[in-house]
Amino acid sequence: MKHEFKKILIAVDASENAKRAVSYVGEIVSDGRGFRITLLYVLRRVERDLFPDESTWMEKIEKEKKSATKMLERLKGLLVEKGLDAKDVTHELIEISDFSIAQAIMDFQEKGGYGTVVIGRRGMSKAEEFLFGSISNKIVHYAKNCAVWVIE
Amino acid sequence: MSNEVQELVKRLRPNLSIGQYGRIYRDTTEFMKISYGDVIALEDQHYLVLRDEAERSFGIEDPKYWVKRCIHLESGERKILKLVFYEKFTLKLGDLDIPCYRSPRKEGRILDLVRGDSRFMQGVSKKDEKGNLVRIIDVVSGKRLDHHVFEMEMPHREYFFKEFPGILEKFIDSCRAIEFLHENREIHGDIRRDHLWREYKSGNYVWIDFDYAYEFEENPFGLDIFGLGSLLIYLAGKQIYTMANLSQILGDKDLEFEKQDFSLLYKNRIVNLRKLFPYIPEQMNVIFMHFSQGAEVFYETVSEFLADLEPCLEIIKNKEAS
Repeated sequence: MKHEFKKILIAVDASENAKRAVSYVGEIVSDGRGFRITLLYVLRRVERDLFPDESTWMEKIEKEKKSATKMLERLKGLLVEKGLDAKDVTHELIEISDFSIAQAIMDFQEKGGYGTVVIGRRGMSKAEEFLFGSISNKIVHYAKNCAVWVIE
Repeated sequence: MSNEVQELVKRLRPNLSIGQYGRIYRDTTEFMKISYGDVIALEDQHYLVLRDEAERSFGIEDPKYWVKRCIHLESGERKILKLVFYEKFTLKLGDLDIPCYRSPRKEGRILDLVRGDSRFMQGVSKKDEKGNLVRIIDVVSGKRLDHHVFEMEMPHREYFFKEFPGILEKFIDSCRAIEFLHENREIHGDIRRDHLWREYKSGNYVWIDFDYAYEFEENPFGLDIFGLGSLLIYLAGKQIYTMANLSQILGDKDLEFEKQDFSLLYKNRIVNLRKLFPYIPEQMNVIFMHFSQGAEVFYETVSEFLADLEPCLEIIKNKEAS
């Protein structure tokens, strides 16, 4: 598949960094033509082990889904505010049970032929990176056939 | 109620004498109430409670009221019963606070996964009449590996070449056990020194306690891998070294330490052991340094860690022979 650099995938979550990344892309591309942007929210199902029962767990997942959908709408609004045409901005929420969010983002990028991937990065200490891993670092290391913009 | 327990004990364990007969619990929800002399009934099996288990840290006993030391009345075997206690607590690792959850479900699942594997504690889980998942654990007859190592009375050099190769060989197997968990999408969750035991009879190393679960950003195995690294450094050093206890081994010798010589998480612990013991092979020290404040690249899987560690065993053995 051909990867078009004007086809931009912004991976977002509920953080401020994601908002910053979206805002940055809005500033950069709003005057240009031919850009198509997809906002992608990968929702990893919170582990069932963290909850005493099925219903509290499902409640939590539903709550996260709702909040992710709202967040995507808000971020789309932000891009439109910056001057992008609403028809050029789409959003996707995908739910995974696998461990790796980075892998899900890269799979989506590959499948959709996105030539640019944008991700926000929060300041993380070395210890945090060791213990919990970093989505943005993983994407920088393993992404293929695309440019990666990491917004800090 | 007391009579019921007394009759049960008399019938099943006629030679057992206890000081007090309590009551039979089929619902373990209120575990604080269950104490010495009570019996926990699970399906058709009975467990006489002897005491609450406790963890010792800094010389203080911290009782674990949800963990009961018992005698299985039908067989006479000692068992540990872990009752359901949903707890969210903060695990402190150096400067980091990690929110952790106690998950009976996770531990029950791992017990099923590792059944018959001597590298892990063994047990089964059964539901009480209220659906609480009770884990019935076989007692590991042994002692903490770190205590076993620490108590070996010999100079470090002698320890490193005579004892450590055997310890490392078994520790590598313990790492493979964790690798096996990871391959099966499970984590240990709390790899620390008091969770790896050495069995008296077999000398086997056994992982215990798998009920910790925690949230992570991208790598679910990081905490386990860090635990393995810290344990390896302890075993290679035979103890922990900090600036405070260095004088015992250095004597009058003066050594300078930099930030990168210390642990990434436990900022006062020296991980650059080769600086203290120059006969430690460089290849092994490189592994230690991946857990230091100077590290730029971290292990993401146990397989990567093992790929570096396994060759070290031969190197040490050959060094010993030469």
